[in-house]
Amino acid sequence: MTRPDGGRVVPVYAVTKGRTRSGGRDLPVESLVTATDLRGALELQSEYRAIMALAVRPVSLVEIGAALRVPVGVARVLVSDLADSGYLTVHAPPPTSANGAPAPALLNRLLEGLRAR
Amino acid sequence: MRADTDAGPIPLKIVVAGGFGVGKTTLVRALSEIPPLLTEESMTSASVGVDDVAAVPDKATTTVAMDFGRITVDESIVLYLFGTPGQDRFWFMWDELARGAVGAVVLVDLRRVDECFAAIDYCESRRLPFVVAVNQFPETDGFGLETVRDALALASDVPVVRMDARRDESCLATLITLVEHALARSAVPH
Ligand SMILES: Nc1nc2c(ncn2[C@@H]2O[C@H](COP(=O)(O)OP(=O)(O)O)[C@@H](O)[C@H]2O)c(=O)[nH]1
Ligand SMILES: [Mg+2]
Repeated sequence: MTRPDGGRVVPVYAVTKGRTRSGGRDLPVESLVTATDLRGALELQSEYRAIMALAVRPVSLVEIGAALRVPVGVARVLVSDLADSGYLTVHAPPPTSANGAPAPALLNRLLEGLRAR
Repeated sequence: MRADTDAGPIPLKIVVAGGFGVGKTTLVRALSEIPPLLTEESMTSASVGVDDVAAVPDKATTTVAMDFGRITVDESIVLYLFGTPGQDRFWFMWDELARGAVGAVVLVDLRRVDECFAAIDYCESRRLPFVVAVNQFPETDGFGLETVRDALALASDVPVVRMDARRDESCLATLITLVEHALARSAVPH
């Protein structure tokens, strides 16, 4: 739980119950999630609610970790819990080539976008 | 857990590596549309699969800070930049960051060239596309880029560029060079 002044009052391992890899271990740090069930989320523990508030727009695991001041591994567990319970959606990862790199068509769009800046 | 298949924004990432003080934070700050954030990755959670809190005494958890920034490239692509120390003891984090990455920018300060060796070795061994960006610090103007290429024993296709991390056009040009290189690499079989 995070106080308004940013201090953490409950050890985060109490929230994740010590799990750092039990769920969603394959989610990359840049995975984006979006809230789907905001009403139900009011009942949640505050750390989960904080994530739901961030996820009103697509937000990445790493941004969630930074906002909650927890390691990314912990954010991943909390996000997995919320996704498993249907509170938020994990967006599909980018299409890749056989070697796991982003697909060329995507790289082309990235290149065009950067050149246009 | 399954990822949803709906068409949301697509996240891409580029890793920025290099020794202490070489300009990683400066580069991320120059390009990011959000104030550069610091996040931490916990060494225990990333390197060993721990499922029991008893096995994770808080004090044993070593965390590593990394910078990250965000660039909204177009209506559907978001590019994340991760600045991370390129040292052997941080490889556990690199494995995670390098997975699915567009590539890496390896920053070099010519006064301390050896600090980039580990990052270059890593990229080469994982076949992660990378560019070497020579950051312009005082007293380093005299070196030609081909000298740098030789000193680092780089393959002929690896781009070597000069950069000033304090100028955003210069940082952007480096990213463009990296993406061009990654595209060229994706055209050849691995
Ligand atoms: N002269 C010069 N100084 C730079 C350049 N890039 C960064 N610096 C300075 O070098 C210092 C260290 O940079 P920083 O980004 O914090 O390095 P990091 O440890 O790699 O994150 C800062 O004072 C920067 O302003 C550059 O291209 N030229
Ligand atoms: Mg820094």
